[in-house]
Amino acid sequence: MDLRFTEAQEILKKMARDFLTTECPKTLVRELEKSEKGYSPELWKKMAELGWMGLVIPEEYEGMGYTFQDLTVLLEEAGRNILPGPLISTVISTFPILEAGTEEQKKELLPKIARGELIITTALLEAEGTFNAYGIAAKATPKGDDFIINGTKLFVEMAHVANYTICVTRTKDGTSPEKGITLFLVDSKAPGISCEVMPTIAADKLCEVRFENVTVPKKNMLGKIDEGWPIVEMMLRKGAIAKCAESIGAIQTCVEMTVAYSKERVQYDRPIGAFQALQHIMADMWTSMETGRYLVYEVAWMESEGQPCAKEASLAKAYVNEAYKNVGQWAIRLHGAIATSHDHDIPLYYRRSKAADTTYGGTDFHRELVAQKIGLI
Amino acid sequence: MDFELTEEQKAHRKEFFEVCKELEKKRPPSFVGFEAVFEVDECWEFHLYCAKEFAKKGWLGLAWPPEYGGSGTMMDKVLFAEARGYHGIPGVDIFGVQMLAPTLLQAASDAIKKEFLPPIVQGKVMWCELWSEPNAGSDLATLATTAIKKGDEYVINGQKTWNTGAHRADWGFGVFKTDPAARKHHNITFILLDMKTPGITVRPIPYIDGGGPFCEVYFDDVHVPAKNIVGQENEGWAVVNLLAGFERSGMTEIMAMFRDLEELVKYCNETKRNGQPLARDPLIRNRVAQLACELQAARAIAYRIADLQNRNEMALMDASAAKIFYSELGKRFAFVATDIAGPYGQVKTSRWAPMHGAWEKAFQECFITIISMGTNEIQRNIIAWYGLGLPRMK
Repeated sequence: MDLRFTEAQEILKKMARDFLTTECPKTLVRELEKSEKGYSPELWKKMAELGWMGLVIPEEYEGMGYTFQDLTVLLEEAGRNILPGPLISTVISTFPILEAGTEEQKKELLPKIARGELIITTALLEAEGTFNAYGIAAKATPKGDDFIINGTKLFVEMAHVANYTICVTRTKDGTSPEKGITLFLVDSKAPGISCEVMPTIAADKLCEVRFENVTVPKKNMLGKIDEGWPIVEMMLRKGAIAKCAESIGAIQTCVEMTVAYSKERVQYDRPIGAFQALQHIMADMWTSMETGRYLVYEVAWMESEGQPCAKEASLAKAYVNEAYKNVGQWAIRLHGAIATSHDHDIPLYYRRSKAADTTYGGTDFHRELVAQKIGLI
Repeated sequence: MDFELTEEQKAHRKEFFEVCKELEKKRPPSFVGFEAVFEVDECWEFHLYCAKEFAKKGWLGLAWPPEYGGSGTMMDKVLFAEARGYHGIPGVDIFGVQMLAPTLLQAASDAIKKEFLPPIVQGKVMWCELWSEPNAGSDLATLATTAIKKGDEYVINGQKTWNTGAHRADWGFGVFKTDPAARKHHNITFILLDMKTPGITVRPIPYIDGGGPFCEVYFDDVHVPAKNIVGQENEGWAVVNLLAGFERSGMTEIMAMFRDLEELVKYCNETKRNGQPLARDPLIRNRVAQLACELQAARAIAYRIADLQNRNEMALMDASAAKIFYSELGKRFAFVATDIAGPYGQVKTSRWAPMHGAWEKAFQECFITIISMGTNEIQRNIIAWYGLGLPRMK
């Protein structure tokens, strides 16, 4: 056991921190919230040059060949700086291609993703807003060499700028909701697709994507017909861990900013950080961060090693969801009125704590999975 | 970053778990929680028995240097704590083995080490801690019990309190004021003393539940050989800080809770209310799952501490954070489990009590961990002052 970052991870971490500090100031974050695209193509290009989108893609497909754990190291830094854009959605949507794609699909798509030429996303949630298979109603019906997709997807990250959308569809009404799910790679320009950005708390461009008689060639099927749900579960598990890593980075910034501010802000002739009422809350914020951090590092390591870790991923997501929201709200309260200003940086994090919470499964969703996995009948 | 244990560590862990599993079969039924060791005679006997068994295997000297009977690494010590916690096995003297021994190894003279370490590693002598006083709790340095040097002895007068297991201990280590004229923190000496020395009176202090491990200890002209000190005279405060640094990651307590969680799940699956198992109640599922999440987080930070300590790195902030977290989790666990048990949550050990009354007991005993070894409020100060660099209260 050695819970230190490897030398390569330290380098990746430092490079990411330095890069994002310079290239992604909060002025850009605010600008992108208001922008139509929600990401900076210039920044995206630079990130591609650093190899970020191809980090976990094997070298034979022009990627960096790093591990999943390395990816979480990078995402923690992205979270520290609340990097906007389609990095997580693209990287997490890459896994179904990596793990279930045909050689042809991999050769076609992975190098382009690694080069930053393709933005991809996954269309999973529908009107019910559940991460369970129950919620999948969008239908894909075979027709000759094609499938025809009909349905409406919601909360699809950055779909408005994605080149491809992995659409999770129902191809058969089976005995259980998990049976009869099939994944398709859909070209965003295919006729019949319409997309509208939903106004969300983090202005992170979640979209409603409507599929009206959208024709998708059979060769664009990802994995086997009717057997797509395990791929979704894999993606949700990796996504949950990735989101946790991002959240830990954000929590750390909230703690650091609050501690720093409390040392500067003077009331009653002393820095407010001298008051124990505040000190103890900051100690608790730090404790939340540190307990969450090693919980996440452990599950990231398990996932990276290929160990079964569905339970651990849910334990971590449920825990970190709450930690981020809680640290975020205390960060505002300890700053006082100033942090309720839209122009302050802390609210950027607080708003994202809610977004991070719902992404890849909220607390109660994951607690229910935990309940099942610890043996409650 | 690598969480994998070495093959050697895995083998050690397997052996720790096997031995503890066997010992669990011999454990008296009156052992409901680790505090029972101090409360119930047969549990104390079991504690001594386990200590002897562990001593035979050399497990009381894990991470000690070989010349004092030690073997293994800090990681072995943590893995051993996991096994004991999960199977609910005492036998490791928290005061002698876990606190005093590492302190002596770092700060004591060779003579003291040679005299006092062997009986600890052999499981022959049990210790208690003589720190708090009626007017010196968190602010320990204000202590008033004096040890005045006369010839080659110290003569001790005063009172100590909240001394866990003092009524059972053979020896005690404590801090005493040796120079009443000197200023605070520079007047304290760390002294080892035989609890059978004439002039010592030990009285139990009934805990919330009427029983409990606590005692108060009175000193009336107690003569202790002057050689029995650790560090220099009047420089005991440094030893206090050193000893505080050897506080545990809480792995035993955390693994005990993992076992409790398994029992709670079993109880929820087997107990019917409103025509269905408790486990089918979504609210109960949610609350139990939340405990599971927090337990996993507690274990993660305990590993973080083990990893730091294994490399001889400081774990000050993490140790404080872990102590706050696992002790308050113990309280939350007790609250949730007794809630779920409904009216049975109040029943003491008896045929009506779920889990032999362990949850009712935990509802009362949770404060022991929250308050002892530096209250959680003091731990928060430590994180704030020494970790986050916040201005210290004057």
